[in-house]
Amino acid sequence: MKTNKMIISWSWREIWSGQLWPVMVALTLIIACVVALSTLALRVEKVMTNQGRDLLAADLVFRSTNPVPEELVDKAQAAGLSTSSQSRFQTMAFSDQNLQLVTVKSVETSYPLRGSLTLRDAQQSAQKQVKPGELWLSPRLFSILESKVGDTIAIGDAELAISGTIEEEPELAYNPFNSIPNVFIHSTDLDKTGAIQIGSRVRYRLFINGEPTALAAFQDRYELQPGESWGDQNRESRAVRLMDKAKQYLSLTILMVILMAAVTLILTCLHYVRNRSETVSMLKSMGSSRAWLRTWLTTQVLIMFISAFVIGSSLGLLLEYLLRVPLADILPQQLPSIGVQPFLFALGVALCIGLPALLIPLTRLLDAPAINVIQKQAVTYSKTSWWLLLLPFTALVVFYGGNKLVWMVLIGLLVLFVVLAGLSYGFLQLLGKIKWGAALSLALSRISRAPKNSMMQLAALSGSLMLVALIWLVKSDLLGDWQQTLAPDAPNVFSINISPEQQQGYLQALDQAGLPHSDAFAIIRGRITKIRGQDSAELPAYQDPEVRILKREVNFTWMEQLPDYNEVIAGDWTGKKTVSVEQEVAQELGLQIGDTMTFEVNSQPFTATVNSLRAVEWQSLKPNFVFIFSKDAVADLPSTWMVSFRAEEDQTPLVNELARAYPTVTLLDLRTMATKVQSLLRQISWSLTGLAALGVVAGILLIFTLLRLSLSERKREITLYRTLGASKKRISHTLWAEYGLLALSGGFVAAIAAEIILSALMIWGFELSPQWHPSMFVVLPVLAIIVVFISLRSVIKGLLKPLR
Amino acid sequence: MSQSIINVENITKSVISNDNELSILKGISFNINAGESVAIMGTSGAGKSTLMSLLAGLDQPSSGTISLLGSTISEMDDEQRAKMRSESIGFVFQNFLLIPSLTALQNVTLPMLLRGNEDQAANELKAKKLLAEVGLSGRETHLPTQLSGGEQQRVALARAFVTQPKILFADEPTGNLDQKTAKTIVELLFAMNKEQGTTLVLVTHDPELAKRCQRTLIMNAGQCQESA
Ligand SMILES: Nc1ncnc2c1ncn2[C@@H]1O[C@H](COP(=O)(O)OP(=O)(O)OP(=O)(O)O)[C@@H](O)[C@H]1O
Ligand SMILES: [Mg+2]
Repeated sequence: MKTNKMIISWSWREIWSGQLWPVMVALTLIIACVVALSTLALRVEKVMTNQGRDLLAADLVFRSTNPVPEELVDKAQAAGLSTSSQSRFQTMAFSDQNLQLVTVKSVETSYPLRGSLTLRDAQQSAQKQVKPGELWLSPRLFSILESKVGDTIAIGDAELAISGTIEEEPELAYNPFNSIPNVFIHSTDLDKTGAIQIGSRVRYRLFINGEPTALAAFQDRYELQPGESWGDQNRESRAVRLMDKAKQYLSLTILMVILMAAVTLILTCLHYVRNRSETVSMLKSMGSSRAWLRTWLTTQVLIMFISAFVIGSSLGLLLEYLLRVPLADILPQQLPSIGVQPFLFALGVALCIGLPALLIPLTRLLDAPAINVIQKQAVTYSKTSWWLLLLPFTALVVFYGGNKLVWMVLIGLLVLFVVLAGLSYGFLQLLGKIKWGAALSLALSRISRAPKNSMMQLAALSGSLMLVALIWLVKSDLLGDWQQTLAPDAPNVFSINISPEQQQGYLQALDQAGLPHSDAFAIIRGRITKIRGQDSAELPAYQDPEVRILKREVNFTWMEQLPDYNEVIAGDWTGKKTVSVEQEVAQELGLQIGDTMTFEVNSQPFTATVNSLRAVEWQSLKPNFVFIFSKDAVADLPSTWMVSFRAEEDQTPLVNELARAYPTVTLLDLRTMATKVQSLLRQISWSLTGLAALGVVAGILLIFTLLRLSLSERKREITLYRTLGASKKRISHTLWAEYGLLALSGGFVAAIAAEIILSALMIWGFELSPQWHPSMFVVLPVLAIIVVFISLRSVIKGLLKPLR
Repeated sequence: MSQSIINVENITKSVISNDNELSILKGISFNINAGESVAIMGTSGAGKSTLMSLLAGLDQPSSGTISLLGSTISEMDDEQRAKMRSESIGFVFQNFLLIPSLTALQNVTLPMLLRGNEDQAANELKAKKLLAEVGLSGRETHLPTQLSGGEQQRVALARAFVTQPKILFADEPTGNLDQKTAKTIVELLFAMNKEQGTTLVLVTHDPELAKRCQRTLIMNAGQCQESA
């Protein structure tokens, strides 16, 4: 049957005047959100992969403690992959004035394969590669070695003239304690240094670039030997972890927005069906066939889908642009193109939710009997297309099957929805037991007279309020946590290698300069030799290439008290000759409270008992240690000291003065890096706030629709009251009392629910410690009352207009 | 001799309500010839509306047969009866029952559309003519909410006659209107009926209105008899 022009114009009118517009708004919102967020996610994903590779200096890195097998390089080249090799080792660098332990990176001209290396010479011109005969120093070394460009420096046995400064380099490790300054030399000069000898600790890397599939195949074919490992961009770096959480938040928000839009969709559809069954009966009485009715409804559904898709996609792109504005500095100028994927995805989501939400009630609409025009009858539905519900569920399993967060939210919602609706209903029942004014008791009795209806409303109201709160709180908690790690007063310069004699004077110098600083910590470098009496080399963990702590020197310290920013998760900080261990390392080594460990410092063995395990936030710039000893265990051992302090931009002269006064103290200046990370955080925060605001808007739209629908469904009842002579004032008071109570209890319940789900999300999802937000218990009920007021004012006014 | 257009043979209708079987129609038989006008009267709850809904094929009798225009509609399924209604039957209801989202004009063209006449221009022309006939020219673009009860019923009349139905069913068409308006509606109804030669079945409580019909059936507690 062909569709007639009139059906189309009629469908438009049905949509706009016939309660279908919220359906369309919801559909549009779903499409806009999915387009915006998935486009953004796609772009950020691509950018992050690129950045991860930059950090790695290649697409893939092969790491080994032995020289890279010749055969591996050949194989890589045969597979069409490009390679570049690097050896790095630590050695002494001597100038005429001073000496300093440095990390030498000997690289080929092709280094780096990804990311950027910027080397600046005395003429201030920049170059991107290391050439034979050159020597490039990290900026700090100039002051330590008291040298300038052109001076000759001995690196091991090789004498090289300084070519200039390393301004920017990939492979930046963000670990202040292992940060020995870097120098770059070319691999042709490696032999001259004489550093590569039997027993010398050289680490080798082969950087590899190529097509992802070729890389994967290459990686699969090679069997790693002991001492070898692969590095790819999935390795956790600080920035990646940060972005990962932002991404998790992104997908969580998408899901919640979709969820709320879906509920709006379903509610409005059900409402539409209730309203339109009379029209369908009329059409049937006039002899319309089911086929005709189907065309009629299909036209409406099609119009809605098509216009929602068009409007939603454009809105989505606009939204993506807006969310992207604050990220401009992070994202490259040339954005990776997005293709049609987000649009297809959005259409898919809209269909998965929209088809069941629309078709199930609409097919039921077809069953409205013709006889209803004369006599209202109970409708018997021929068949309900419940199978359509499989659509969203299958999609959910396929797309989110492995996402812990998503399932947590969904299951949490479901359980809470039921429990809380009951709870708040009970709360209202309780209120009903108390004596109130006329309006309140009338309202209460109305609520308890229609329990099913009131429960539904309460559940929906508190559910949506909870989602709104959740979106906002997760955002604030995430940002709060990040901001904490980079608080405006967080230390940004670390001084290490302070000798015991210098310690007092150094701290005084800091105080005099007015630079806020931490306590001084002893640094004792040593190794783990035995655990529970067993040699560390014989421990199973020693074979694990991921566990490096047994094979290298570790920084030990002692303290009177454990730092308050470390959470003790097992045991107590008590006893003589004891040590507190960071929990992840303890797990790797299989350590329990009470285990004895033997360490060695300067060939001097000593033993300590594990008395506690601590959780450490490595991201924070605070001084942190894997092993913290009690004073009696290590205080006599030779140590250096470290202290961290905070220097603002304009305090640089003070820092330089300090460096001159204490030439042997190494300064790790993290200021540029900290500002970089901070601005990154700020930018991400803006986008997350934008996202959260979007979620809140969706939630409020849902509440708005919900309330208006529920009230308009009572039109008849209210008209009747009016006809029976109830005063306007009485009716409006009763209505306000009823919805006010709903809002109040809904808000409370939402606050409880949000706290519960939030804690779960924080603990298991984002791996942060949960927080308590008492203000929610005020904010949410108030917000609910405001929304109720705004959405119902005009409706109530309309209902109380003089009777015709 | 004029031919039978509605034939009812011993129909009954009972419904189950609250686990009790309630017998609404208890064996009714009659015959109506083409072109006749018949009033159905009776006390409230006697079963008039029920009978009419069966005659119009909106519902099925529990037993007995109903033939309309020579076809036994009591044996047809929903779809066949819908087709029958769209082709040969018009309705006027007590509460007008216009489609709220359609204008007066669109409400009138709707039955033609349902019938499959998709020539919009022709449909509208016809509808406008009928709306003029019921005195509503100039109100074509108004929505039902913008019309008074009497005006709505006039649109409903135009809608009922636009397809030139063989039979017109009217269930208390003036029940919701004041006397004066009711009179206009009745005049219009009979004028158009006469013009198109439609068979008219009319449920009413108004003896005056019944008198204008050629025959009157009286219903009482589910039974039906011809009045003298
Ligand atoms: N689906 C049903 N379920 C239960 N009872 C019904 C049903 N349909 C009709 N009845 C009952 O059948 C009886 C006849 O109803 P009907 O509407 O035909 O009466 P009526 O003669 O049209 O009355 P009125 O003049 O008041 O319109 C009434 O008592 C009514 O309550
Ligand atoms: Mg009746």
